[in-house]
Amino acid sequence: MDVAKRLVGLPEDGTLVRDHAGVTMTEGESRGLAANDGARARGPREYAAAGVVLAVGLLVTAALVWISATTYVDNENRLLGLRVRDAGALISGALASTQTPLASGAALADATHGDVGKFDTFISRTVARSQFVSVSLWQLGAGQPRRLSMVGATPELASSPARISSFFAEAARAGQLGVIGLLQASPPRLGYAFSSPGLTGRYVAYAESALPANRHSKFQGTSAFADLDYALYFGRGQNSANLLVSDLKQLPITARHAAISIPFGTGAFTFVVTPHRPLSGTFAQQLPWLIAIAGLLLSLGAAVLTARLIRRRNQAQRLARSLERIAEENRRLYAEQRTIARTLQHALLPDVLPRISGVEAGARYETGVKGVEIGGDWYDLIALDEHRLLLVVGDVSGRGVRAAATMASLRFAIHAYAAQDDPPDAILTKLSKLVNVNSSGQLATILCAVIDVEAQRLTVTSAGHLPPLLISNGTSRFVQSEVGVPIGVQTKARYSSVSIDAPPAGTLLAFTDGLVERRGESIDAGLDRLKRAASTNHVGLEDLLSRLIEDVRGGAGDDDTAIAALRWQA
Amino acid sequence: MAGVDPDSVTEMSFELADGADGTVTVRIGGELDITNVDELGSAVQRALAEGPERVIVDARELRFADSSAIALWVQWAAAVPDLELQGASPFLRRVIESMGLTDTLGLKP
Repeated sequence: MDVAKRLVGLPEDGTLVRDHAGVTMTEGESRGLAANDGARARGPREYAAAGVVLAVGLLVTAALVWISATTYVDNENRLLGLRVRDAGALISGALASTQTPLASGAALADATHGDVGKFDTFISRTVARSQFVSVSLWQLGAGQPRRLSMVGATPELASSPARISSFFAEAARAGQLGVIGLLQASPPRLGYAFSSPGLTGRYVAYAESALPANRHSKFQGTSAFADLDYALYFGRGQNSANLLVSDLKQLPITARHAAISIPFGTGAFTFVVTPHRPLSGTFAQQLPWLIAIAGLLLSLGAAVLTARLIRRRNQAQRLARSLERIAEENRRLYAEQRTIARTLQHALLPDVLPRISGVEAGARYETGVKGVEIGGDWYDLIALDEHRLLLVVGDVSGRGVRAAATMASLRFAIHAYAAQDDPPDAILTKLSKLVNVNSSGQLATILCAVIDVEAQRLTVTSAGHLPPLLISNGTSRFVQSEVGVPIGVQTKARYSSVSIDAPPAGTLLAFTDGLVERRGESIDAGLDRLKRAASTNHVGLEDLLSRLIEDVRGGAGDDDTAIAALRWQA
Repeated sequence: MAGVDPDSVTEMSFELADGADGTVTVRIGGELDITNVDELGSAVQRALAEGPERVIVDARELRFADSSAIALWVQWAAAVPDLELQGASPFLRRVIESMGLTDTLGLKP
């Protein structure tokens, strides 16, 4: 967690900073809060949305199932209708093969005046290749029809003279094949009679065909109808008494079926078929089921996914709220750190500047924009006597409480050495015993400047510090001295001072590198900027300091900056 | 977020090379400042513990160094008989001169 890391990554100097435990506590609190949120947000809303998704999924599934099932049924019915019409055409075609031999026989008898021998000879050949079990020739006249000849079995109809008479009369009148059924023999028979009206009408050729045993017969496996079960009835209708033949045991057919009535001579047949497997294929039959199962699974999956997504979103929202709280806490701590650092910094700087006659003093301390930690810059002004003032500006490398502590000890040590009237070079040499870069990792650059307004002398001593700027008569120059090493490099460093005549009226400005240093440019550029800014028209000391902070330091201000200034008038 | 990230670490890279003649070369690139100086310091500390004769700080790729970086080099200079800062940019050279550390850091003219 970046924010938490940032919080942990705050200054390592423990006293000013909330430690890791503080962060852990904050996280713990937010987790607790998240759990509460979870208990509140969970439930109805998640499951309502998932329920809606499930319902919509099921509705769509049901619609698709209905469409596919309807399509399947329509297809099946259409195909079955086509098949039963095909079968009907075949049965109609069988009319010719039944009627032709009888018509020919009747015509032969007519032409030969009932020559039984010729009829028998002709019809015997026919009987041999036909389905007839009995063929006979009858003569009509007054009274009962008289049988002239018989080939095959005895006609069953002969046992009922009344029926034979009316049947032959009807067949003669109709002028087409007369059909009669079912004749109760074993097995039952159908009777066919033909007496052409174009002839004399005195002879009737009559045949009977036997139904298969138990009226049961299958289509041949190679038949175009092998995929159908069927039932063939005599007459119009599916009366079981009139069943001629079927390959089924259970009748009548109640499953999906199609029926067609086929006129056959004076009678008719009814043909009923039912498929024993789907005509449009097994897949078409299973499709509604497949759609139903797939739709159900998809709907359930979508509902679960919806619930999960909503839960994830809620979790993300809770996490975002927790993070926002942590960030808020972090901002607060950060602001607190800054406030503490600034307060401490100002506490370590002199709150009242000493005054001596004829010298005006001013100072500024600006915290760098990165300043969450206390910095190591400082300034100081010490009145050595009524006419001498010591100006000190220093910079301890590094930041944090350690830098501040070193800074404070250096500052107070300078006060002590100045009080015993040590000159600046001696002060710096003594200070170099207090700080050691090898043990503390710290260096300090210090500039000491003494203005003697009575003698009008200015003395400058530098331990690795940038030179002070002397402004007089609208021009400015840096007072270069021999720069000694920073405090902390050598334990017995030697420093030398430069002493110049001070102009009767002038301003001396000492500063830390934060004022002039910018990344990506030479420090000389910053020094030039300072020199130009300080050389402009005469302004009050406070205004000058404000302007330098604003114009020279500018927005870059990463680093802390200390400026101290003396202005004298002889 | 108000203010500036207090923990932003400046981009810096370094490379240590141990020469056979007791010379340790520290190549530093990027910007070295208070935010990352400890990382470099602890890495080089291990190399210094071996007691090399000479440390060369190669600063050709270094764009910026603040006072804490200079303090670190001064520490190194105190720890070995000979330290030389090579390839310092004019900007860096000027800062070191202004601090009176030209000799300490073995900055050649």
